[in-house]
Amino acid sequence: MVKTNLLLASMFIGSTVFAQAPAPSSPSAPAPENATSGAVDLSVKQRPTLTPAEMVNQSKEYLQGMAQVVKRIQNLQDEAKRQKDIIRLNCVTDKLVQARVNENIAEQSMSALQENVAKNDVGGQTHEFTRLTIVNQKVTVVGAEAENCIGEDLSFVGATRVDVEVDQNIPQYDPTQPGSPFIDITRPPEASPVQ
Amino acid sequence: MKRGLGLCVGLGTLLAGSVAFAQQALSSNEVTIGYSGLPYKTSGESNTGIQVSDTLLLHAGVGAEAGYDTNVYYDPTKPIGSSIFRVMPFVELTNGTRSGPVRTQFVFDARAGLQYRHYGNSAIRSEYADAWNPNAGLSLSWGGAQFAFGVADVFARIEDPPYASGGMPQTGAIQRTNNQASLEGRWSPGGGRLTGTLRYTNMVDVYDGSYAYADAVTNTLMLDASWRWLPKTAVFLNVQQGYVDYYNTSAPGHKPNAYPFVASVGLRGLLTEKTSLSLALGYNNPFYTSGGSTTGFLGSTYANLALTILPTQLSRIVIGARHDFLNVVISNFAYEDAVYASYVQQLIGRLALDLSGRYSHLNYGGAFVDPTQQGRVDNYVQLGATLDYFLRNWVYLGVGYALIDNNSNLSANDYLKQQVFARLGVTY
Repeated sequence: MVKTNLLLASMFIGSTVFAQAPAPSSPSAPAPENATSGAVDLSVKQRPTLTPAEMVNQSKEYLQGMAQVVKRIQNLQDEAKRQKDIIRLNCVTDKLVQARVNENIAEQSMSALQENVAKNDVGGQTHEFTRLTIVNQKVTVVGAEAENCIGEDLSFVGATRVDVEVDQNIPQYDPTQPGSPFIDITRPPEASPVQ
Repeated sequence: MKRGLGLCVGLGTLLAGSVAFAQQALSSNEVTIGYSGLPYKTSGESNTGIQVSDTLLLHAGVGAEAGYDTNVYYDPTKPIGSSIFRVMPFVELTNGTRSGPVRTQFVFDARAGLQYRHYGNSAIRSEYADAWNPNAGLSLSWGGAQFAFGVADVFARIEDPPYASGGMPQTGAIQRTNNQASLEGRWSPGGGRLTGTLRYTNMVDVYDGSYAYADAVTNTLMLDASWRWLPKTAVFLNVQQGYVDYYNTSAPGHKPNAYPFVASVGLRGLLTEKTSLSLALGYNNPFYTSGGSTTGFLGSTYANLALTILPTQLSRIVIGARHDFLNVVISNFAYEDAVYASYVQQLIGRLALDLSGRYSHLNYGGAFVDPTQQGRVDNYVQLGATLDYFLRNWVYLGVGYALIDNNSNLSANDYLKQQVFARLGVTY
């Protein structure tokens, strides 16, 4: 989630900054001569190069991909139910919820994109298309996570077994019981010196 | 604690009248004070015995010891020494296996043994020179954790030379035959914190010759209730009521019947994993029908303390003290104050060392058979030491030493007896 926010923020800032027109080069500060030969081009595309129609088509492909991902996660959920693997089922269900939420967002963005295309609102088109792109990436990630949900086959270590380790010094018999009677066959004391 | 000594050496645990509940039959905290007789079973009882069937195990063995006895007749003035030779064969049948006890709700153990004793000195009269002392035992138990029942019977006979003065024995050989049967039930409801034990014991004690007046049948009923506040530690209340019937009323010196009663409370079990304690304190009274009974605060006080320490897995130290009364044959009773200690050590898996000693202060009271013994007080010491080397876990050889010293305020009752033995045997 944090990564997504960072990505959104950086793209927003980037698009905001690079949406400005490039400043005219100052005649008093000519570019170095080697600028064209050795410099790296760090510039970022300020505007999508896609046409509105291409954006709509691409967005439809995104929606189809997301639908496939959701369907795949549903299959995974059914499989977990059949296997009665509660651990995996919980994980897959969580991913399915996330995927469906993002799919709904994507559908809303798709509608907005089409409206903006109709209104010829370039900024709105770019915004909605960017949203769709991000949501598509999120759904792709969620789908991968759903595939990696770990079930009992890996985490189940067998029935619970309790091993009691008793100190060998502790006697095996029960010392709390009364002692056994013992037969008395001692030699009797001398009853009389003359006997 | 087993109070057997002297004559009962060599009989070992055959005489334990345990109502052998399964876990108790395997090992016990009973300690023998004085000379330990020939090993009855291999230490650990593992990997020995003949497996008669899947659930029947037969143990058999024979031990022999030869040595010297410094005072055959317990003579205070003119002791006569003699070489001594003893042989003890035995058999035992139980429903165990060689790898350990059978885990069933029914456990039985049948045992039989014989001790033959011979004095080699020709100065010992022939009628005292040889003795055959048989013994046998049977115990059965049923039940599980909540309910358990058991019956047991132990039989033993001893024969020993009589007391003598000036080298001249005055009576025939001392012969004593004893049979003790017991019936026991135990109930541990719920989780087993509370346990109630009810035990009935019947003992028939028969003397031959000059002690025939002391022939008796003793019936004892015991009720024990314990609350286990830790897994191996419990507080208890123990009440015992007995009835001693000296049935040989025609014999001179006939003793009065008694109704001994003991009620005690205390603690039994582990203090730490290496230390266990048995502490009991209570009231007792023999309640003789005539001739007087124990009196006073101390005379009616019963106290017993036994502290067991296991310094290592191969050693055990027991220290104990006891204040009680004894039902004796020369008078109605004797106040007994005793302290004892025992040290058992196994070394390198082959050597078994057993050291023990006991001091008893016996203050006789009540009606005396012989009035000249009135006011008799004995200070009785016994020591025992054995060292056995097990060539295999079923073949041993060893040495032993025993000392019995009686110091009485009536010097005619003094004696000192020492025995040394070399011994060997098999216990398979």
